[in-house]
Amino acid sequence: MYAYEKTPLNLSSRALWALGLMLFCFVVLLGRLWYLQVIRGSYFKERSENNRVRTQYLPPPRGKILDRHGEVIAKNRPSYDIVLYVTEVGDVESVLQQLAQLTDTPYEALYAKYEKGKRVARFIPRVLLPHVDREIIAKVKANRWRLPGIDVRYRPSRWYVHGDLAAHLIGYIREIDEAQLKSPAYAAYYRSGDLVGKYGLERKWEQSLQGRRGRKNIVVNVHGVKINDLTATDPSYQTEAIAGQSIKLTIDLDVQRAADEALKEIKGGVVALQVDTGEVLAMASSPRFDPNIFTGDLSAQEWSDIVSGPGKKLNNRAMQGTYPPGSTFKTIMGIAALEEGVVGPHETVYCPGHYTFGGRRFHCHKRSGHGNVDLKQAIIQSCDVYFYVVGQRLGVDRIHDYANRFGLGHATGIDLYHERPGLVPSTAWKKKRFEGTEQEKWYPGETLSVAIGQGANLATPLQMAVATAAISNGGKVFKPQLLKGIYGAEGTFQDESFSPEVVGKLSAQKRSLKLVQDAMVGVVHAEKGTARRARLPEEWGIRVAGKTGTSQVVSLAKKGESKKYEHHAWFIGYAPADKPEIAVAALIENGGHGGVAAAPVVRQVLEAYFRKTRPVLVENSSEGIVPRETTEGG
Amino acid sequence: MFIDRRLIAQFDWPLFVLSIVLPVLGLFVLYSAGYDPDLQIIPFNFEQLTIQSHVFLKQLRFLVVALIGMFLGMITGTRTWYRFSYFFYVGVVLLLVAVLLFGAISHGSRRWLSFGAFNLQPSELVKVAVVLCLARYISKHPPKKSYYGFKELLVPSLLFGLPMGLIFLQPDLGTALTVGAIGFAMLLFVGIRPKLLVGFGVMGVLAAVASWFFVLHDYQKRRVLVLFDPESNPRGEGWQIIQSKIAVGSGELFGKGYLNGSQTQLEFLPERTTDFIFCVLAEEWGFAGSLLVVGLFAFLMYRLLRVVAKSKDLYSALVVFGIAVFLFFHVVVNLGMVIGLFPVVGLPLPLLSYGGSSLLTVMFCLGIVLGISMRKTVFTSS
Repeated sequence: MYAYEKTPLNLSSRALWALGLMLFCFVVLLGRLWYLQVIRGSYFKERSENNRVRTQYLPPPRGKILDRHGEVIAKNRPSYDIVLYVTEVGDVESVLQQLAQLTDTPYEALYAKYEKGKRVARFIPRVLLPHVDREIIAKVKANRWRLPGIDVRYRPSRWYVHGDLAAHLIGYIREIDEAQLKSPAYAAYYRSGDLVGKYGLERKWEQSLQGRRGRKNIVVNVHGVKINDLTATDPSYQTEAIAGQSIKLTIDLDVQRAADEALKEIKGGVVALQVDTGEVLAMASSPRFDPNIFTGDLSAQEWSDIVSGPGKKLNNRAMQGTYPPGSTFKTIMGIAALEEGVVGPHETVYCPGHYTFGGRRFHCHKRSGHGNVDLKQAIIQSCDVYFYVVGQRLGVDRIHDYANRFGLGHATGIDLYHERPGLVPSTAWKKKRFEGTEQEKWYPGETLSVAIGQGANLATPLQMAVATAAISNGGKVFKPQLLKGIYGAEGTFQDESFSPEVVGKLSAQKRSLKLVQDAMVGVVHAEKGTARRARLPEEWGIRVAGKTGTSQVVSLAKKGESKKYEHHAWFIGYAPADKPEIAVAALIENGGHGGVAAAPVVRQVLEAYFRKTRPVLVENSSEGIVPRETTEGG
Repeated sequence: MFIDRRLIAQFDWPLFVLSIVLPVLGLFVLYSAGYDPDLQIIPFNFEQLTIQSHVFLKQLRFLVVALIGMFLGMITGTRTWYRFSYFFYVGVVLLLVAVLLFGAISHGSRRWLSFGAFNLQPSELVKVAVVLCLARYISKHPPKKSYYGFKELLVPSLLFGLPMGLIFLQPDLGTALTVGAIGFAMLLFVGIRPKLLVGFGVMGVLAAVASWFFVLHDYQKRRVLVLFDPESNPRGEGWQIIQSKIAVGSGELFGKGYLNGSQTQLEFLPERTTDFIFCVLAEEWGFAGSLLVVGLFAFLMYRLLRVVAKSKDLYSALVVFGIAVFLFFHVVVNLGMVIGLFPVVGLPLPLLSYGGSSLLTVMFCLGIVLGISMRKTVFTSS
């Protein structure tokens, strides 16, 4: 056959050519390999390290929030989320359907969560159900074999031990938002997904409570699954998280609870202060919210209900709600009148039930009139006519000065965000407010409204508590204080340098104060007093001083049409009357008469306070509290 | 069909050693590529032999089968190959048609014929069939002048063009290109008129452009485009290219150490037991390892072409040359692919990649070469 004959072709030279070509290709390949492995080797080495080493952040335990006796108000507890690993799930739809059935969650909701996570890297687990309870965890774990890619993940979460107790004061934490992340105060440290204080003390003391996150380098495979701990070989791969500092508040849990309880079904605010330090013993606002719900998954509906729903739950009425102080203002008026000498201590004014000024008739709340009343009786019976006269004699600007010195009309400076300053009108204020309009001029008739705490007069319960404390303590106006101390974890650090801060001193004479104080005792304990409901059980032997207030929402004509226009009820008080320790101010929105609606609230707070501070005394007395008769007035 | 002493005297020992060393090296690399620290296979209850890699064991089994194949290829006489070249070819083409009609679909293409107990991938056989068939045709119809003219090229072109087209329809671009490369190289080896070569070149470019618009699948186009900018789609098409380059490059001069390549062990490297096996070696053994493997393949080429050069008859020379081109093409395209020079075309690295069909085919081919190399003196005299 031809094929086996010796070929005439020169095979050697052909083979040599072929070999040359092939070797050339191999050299090119080797050149490329040299380039990749030797010249750029370190670059690729680094990239391979970036592939395998992932930095894991160790969230710092957030500092606790404690009451003045060290009782826990907010701490951390373990929480479990149901998460999905996209890289391991396989058939997402069927897995989600199974999970939906198992956990009684709508499939669409789970799918939406899955879709929402599409922007993040595949190896990061997506949270499908945050903060689930043990029952669901058990169910999911038992069915794990048919839920590939579904896992239960642990994380520490905030727990407000007493639920909605002091919710407005304590505040809540939540995932940091875009705007906060961009702001200079947060940008340096915080990362997307971090939890930050959003409200209340949680926000105000964020810097201390937060702590510092640690980090740890781990080796992961392509699915982000942890393979190894670099820390085992080299401890420098890990920095421990530094726990946040705990803050100890001036709040007394029992007093606070009493204040919260007293406001349970009603709208309003209560503040209790220690009179000789300005320490806040309780600050309550109602309606409240449960800060624990913010750690879970809040639906848009729940969110808008809290933020803008009826009752405006996020509004801290104790320091953000401003209301005309009504007759409680008469205490300040009384001191101003005595100090300025516009009335004598025992000078009487005749009250026929109304007062005519500038051709207009101004009514006393008691249409039949109080007859001849001096200052003490005017306060006890809350006679409006007496204070019309006093107001007219003082003039609005002097009223303004005194109110100002008592801390009204400007923020008290409490360490919380968004405190409202309230308002005490003056001629200067009106000129500025209505500049260029016909209303810029002050009319003397307006002074009469201001004199009984109406008109443009606005104060927060916090301000009234500060003023009440000042009346009781001889004129010292304190900056309300919320913090007793800051403590590092396990005693590493502590700062107890929080001391009372006097921001104003009323240079009133003792006897002026004494007279008003006596009158305030009369409000509660005298036969004709308007606030007999504020009395403590007689056996305790503790007398209460106070003043009711009923502030008009709109003109009297509209009253009765709807609850909306019902008067706001005030009561301010302190006790023990002879040696004051605690001052309380309570406001009940649309509560009606101060003596009826607000005085019992204050009494409940006082009771809680004395039960705590005088256990022996309280135990020795009989438990039941005798209901007291209703007294007219306001 | 027997081996006598004269044949053994002619045995190409270096080629034989290479044919053993490369797959054994491959086993080592595969052991690492398939290394699973949680796995413990203890053969014969002998704990020192604990094996922690599934693919290693499987490939070891394949290697035993492949060695038998190599032996069969070796003892079969060249005359037998010559005689059965066309039958073999026709049979394989029929199988290719059968694959297109009845083949099992996997990964979107029909490549396998299932015969119950075992699967047959005819595209592996095609390479052998085309080599044998073209070798017979060319040796029977050598160029009339010193080069092949246009008319003379029609039949041989059809001989490799037909199976090439059938494979392309599966679709299996890599194998189709291999068959084309083998056919073209074998014709070129004998000689093609230079003018025609230029013409082919132009046609080739036109065909490439045309195929871009009318023939190539979208995924194939993306594989080409991503080559120029892998970072454009780092989690999709670019993933393989990026990760394989990182694996290779991060090996640096001497590698990260056996079983220590993070790209490999942490599964960043896709297809690390098959098409990207070289990356495992390059990562763990560094440039030194790369040099070793490329050097071994270069030496293999040298030994193969030496057989070609020393052949006394054209059929033997062409068979060996075809096989050399087959192996060379696979090596170059595979390496070019893993180091980001060529698009990702699914071609395994001969003798190193995991896979029974490929190993068997290559060892069988090397067996044929060993057989031819020791018989060359015998047949020149007949």
